[in-house]
Amino acid sequence: MAREITYQTAINEALAQEMERDPTVVVFGEDVAGGMEAPGEDDAWGGVLGVTKGLYHKYPGRVLDTPISESAYVGAAAGAAASGLRPVAELMFVDFMGVCLDQIFNQAAKFRYMFGGKAKTPMVIRTMWGAGIRAASQHSQALYPIFTHIPGLKVALPATPYDAKGLLIAAIRDDDPVIFFEHKVLYDTKGDVPEEPYALPFGEANIVREGSDVTVVALGRMVSFAQEAAEALEDDGIDCEIIDPRTTSPLDEDTILESVENTGRLVVVDEASPRCGMASDIAARVAQDAFADLKAPPRMVTAPHTPVPFSPVLEDAYVPTVESITAAVRETAGAGAPSAA
Amino acid sequence: MAQDSRVGIVANPASGRDIRRLVAGASVFGNADKAGIVLRVLAGLGAAGVRTALMMPAFDGLSAALERQLHAHATAERHHGAAPLPSLEALPMPLTGTAADSVRAVELMRAAGVSVIVVLGGDGTHRVVAKACGDIPLCALSTGTNNAFPEVREGTVAGLAAGLVATGRAGDGALRRELALAVELGDAEPELALVDVILSAEPFTGARALWRGSGVSELFVACANPSAVGFSSIAGLLQPLPRAGGRGMHVRLTDDPAEAHLVLRVPLAPGLLAAVGVAGFRTLELGEEVATAPGSGCLALDGEREIERRPGEHVTVRLVPGPLTIDVDAVMRHAARVNATRMHPPPE
Amino acid sequence: MSTVAPPETGQLTKEQLLEAYRVMRTIREFEERLHTEFATGEIPGFVHLYAGEEAIAAGVCAHLTPDDYVASTHRGHGHAIAKGCDVKAMMAEIYGRKTGLCHGKGGSMHIADLAKGMLGANGIVGGGPPLVCGVGLTARVKQTDQVAVSFTGDGGSNQGTFLESLNLAACWNLPCVFVIEDNGYAESTPPAFHQAGVDIAKRADGFGLPGVEVDGFDFFAVHEAAGEAVRRARSGAGASLLVCKVMRYYGHFEGDQQTYRGADEVKELRRTRDCLDAFARRVTEAGAVEESDLSDIDESVRALLDEAVAEAQAGPHPGVDEVLTDVYVKY
Repeated sequence: MAREITYQTAINEALAQEMERDPTVVVFGEDVAGGMEAPGEDDAWGGVLGVTKGLYHKYPGRVLDTPISESAYVGAAAGAAASGLRPVAELMFVDFMGVCLDQIFNQAAKFRYMFGGKAKTPMVIRTMWGAGIRAASQHSQALYPIFTHIPGLKVALPATPYDAKGLLIAAIRDDDPVIFFEHKVLYDTKGDVPEEPYALPFGEANIVREGSDVTVVALGRMVSFAQEAAEALEDDGIDCEIIDPRTTSPLDEDTILESVENTGRLVVVDEASPRCGMASDIAARVAQDAFADLKAPPRMVTAPHTPVPFSPVLEDAYVPTVESITAAVRETAGAGAPSAA
Repeated sequence: MAQDSRVGIVANPASGRDIRRLVAGASVFGNADKAGIVLRVLAGLGAAGVRTALMMPAFDGLSAALERQLHAHATAERHHGAAPLPSLEALPMPLTGTAADSVRAVELMRAAGVSVIVVLGGDGTHRVVAKACGDIPLCALSTGTNNAFPEVREGTVAGLAAGLVATGRAGDGALRRELALAVELGDAEPELALVDVILSAEPFTGARALWRGSGVSELFVACANPSAVGFSSIAGLLQPLPRAGGRGMHVRLTDDPAEAHLVLRVPLAPGLLAAVGVAGFRTLELGEEVATAPGSGCLALDGEREIERRPGEHVTVRLVPGPLTIDVDAVMRHAARVNATRMHPPPE
Repeated sequence: MSTVAPPETGQLTKEQLLEAYRVMRTIREFEERLHTEFATGEIPGFVHLYAGEEAIAAGVCAHLTPDDYVASTHRGHGHAIAKGCDVKAMMAEIYGRKTGLCHGKGGSMHIADLAKGMLGANGIVGGGPPLVCGVGLTARVKQTDQVAVSFTGDGGSNQGTFLESLNLAACWNLPCVFVIEDNGYAESTPPAFHQAGVDIAKRADGFGLPGVEVDGFDFFAVHEAAGEAVRRARSGAGASLLVCKVMRYYGHFEGDQQTYRGADEVKELRRTRDCLDAFARRVTEAGAVEESDLSDIDESVRALLDEAVAEAQAGPHPGVDEVLTDVYVKY
């Protein structure tokens, strides 16, 4: 039975259902209970934006606040995973990855390989990303390309409540380390989500919209922007196929290539900054593997190569817009300047 | 006033961080704390007119902490009437990081003609210093764990009292002749203990500090203070004896309830109270030599397992005169009587 | 390694004494042999030798079972051997062979065997302490009496990860023991310079944990203190810091000319402080073991090492296709 819930609630539900099913799933991070040992409520916050509310009392001993000490507790997640738990650690903002990156990319990501296949590290790091709430440069980044780059890690970026629940359940059940990116602007968005638990496979893209003229690959919040752009472009007779990879590692290259085989045109929309990002990664792969099918060069729509600015006017100019997406599609489609209508 | 009076300072970096932190309630006495005490001692010495202090080049970081504190002191605002600190000189000696360093330091201090040695440490440190100091009086300050021998005394006043002794203004009654225990094991050179000698069944010295009550068969003490912490408290709680009063005690202990005449609960280490069975005890007179029961195991001197005794090795213990120590209270009472702290002329 | 905890009085049985000696001798021979073989140029990459420090690995690991975990440093062979990792498989790993403990994928700096509770040598200074906090959490959640021990150097004791781990272990009351092997040099820098003359043991006070310092050349001192620390952790009383003062015989890495050390420093150490010599002398003088028991062990260890090196040198290289294996459980 599906019903409409928010992206945030979908995540909470995924955590609760997996904790119910598997006693080795534990959740920890800064303020995930949000008041442990404080004079008032032990779980006053339930996460800085309330995403983990309610879990503390339901699963005593398995939801833990941590000191502000990422390298210790993210490293502890790796050690706990290697010794029999399924930890879900929260890195509150992905912008904080600098203080615990070693634990993620040199320890957790590499145990299985370095130890000759004799280790498994079934951990999840949930983390918030994305610009749009005026949180400025140290709380607004989209750093998944860095994790995508690291062999040994998996990366998931749900765009909808349905994807959020299914991908998180899959992430928790996955025996490899997963970095799970939750877009902070999407928390309040609503969508139909089945009540029962379900897992969405990694490496399987979602064809959000079928179309025959241009393949638009979009990530995270950009998926809904691409949908808006596609509606506007329909009036101009341009039929977009929108593909949401859902996971950047593993990446469903096959679906993208099949689509480009059909449309011959590619636009990749990625909120992250342009150098060494998903846009350049996907564009390069398509150029290499589907060159013969391309009727126009692939186009990348990204943020500029700058930190995220604070002032609302500036932040709104930083994030790709529906207009910048439609302009890129038109260019690829060979339509030149946008129609007057 | 004796010109050019020199005082030695021995501050043991290694004291105060042994296994009793884990098994009892002791906390770590760190280098910064010890450096602070040395600084205060120097302030007191300086006020008493001592110009030079000699110290072992400290191993393990105490020097660095001390240098920082001295620098801070030198650059701080001068108080009205403050006296300069004595200049602190490092003895020219290599370090091995063992107790031999303290012995060597004391030998060099004697050769340099110091009139007093201020010691910061526990029973173990003082024991080592006492082996080498001859009749140079010691100002015994506690920074170790059990501290039956040295006292917990604020460094400034200790420095002042030590300085008055060093400059010949302490009067009679300033010094105490302590007792000690001379331990002879086979042909080896005799060892010295200032507080207690314990025979333990543990075959190896292990983590040194002796804190287990079981397996201990004999206890000899040079002082029986009922308020002490450590094995000597057994003697003190059986029959208190005044310090430096010319008598010690020999106690036989047992783990066998049938053999024990009585069982005491005593503070063997900070935070650690344990039951010990007493089979018998008697006082020891000065000069009296006692042969221990045959056996093997460890000999603990002043609470630290020091010697591994092999089967067949013969051990005797004798109560002997020990080092001279400064009675700080007596010195300060005398100083008050003779106005030793009056300044001529009064400061502007 | 023996799984029986020592009796209350702290006395070790003859079997336990011989096992301790065997562990230390195996580590010593392994490292000395590597020193020789490395000089021939046949061993790829970096090795960091533990010779001189054996009493620490042996003294601590004597109290651990296969269910307990250790996390090590780049200087990890000693901990691996003391924790029960297969010596021949370790040697093959260092030679990069397919028969190696990690199938040649890790090498000296990443030697590990999770089945024996060895979370790995670690190429990142300070990488271990957070991992053992994690194992401590596992023990707490699963309500076992497992203990997790990390080994870090004096250099590593300045890393944020180490200090954060002490704090986390104290906050969560984790069954961890943090061992610091203060071997006098953080690469080429002595503690007088890299620590402003601080006591590492005293750092524990700052986190509300007990800190103890022992002579790392003395097996019995390490064994006794480690026993209390492990007992404390297992009983649920929490974590502690054990600082073992020692010196390493070889350089930071093989190839290090060590000109930062005093002339004859190592020669004097080998002559006066060697942990194996001291152990052998004390246990034979105490009548606890015969000299022949020890020399039997020496012989069998040497034979084992000869075989290990020969088998490693003759061992098969991994197939090139193995570059791609074991990145993930399933991709």
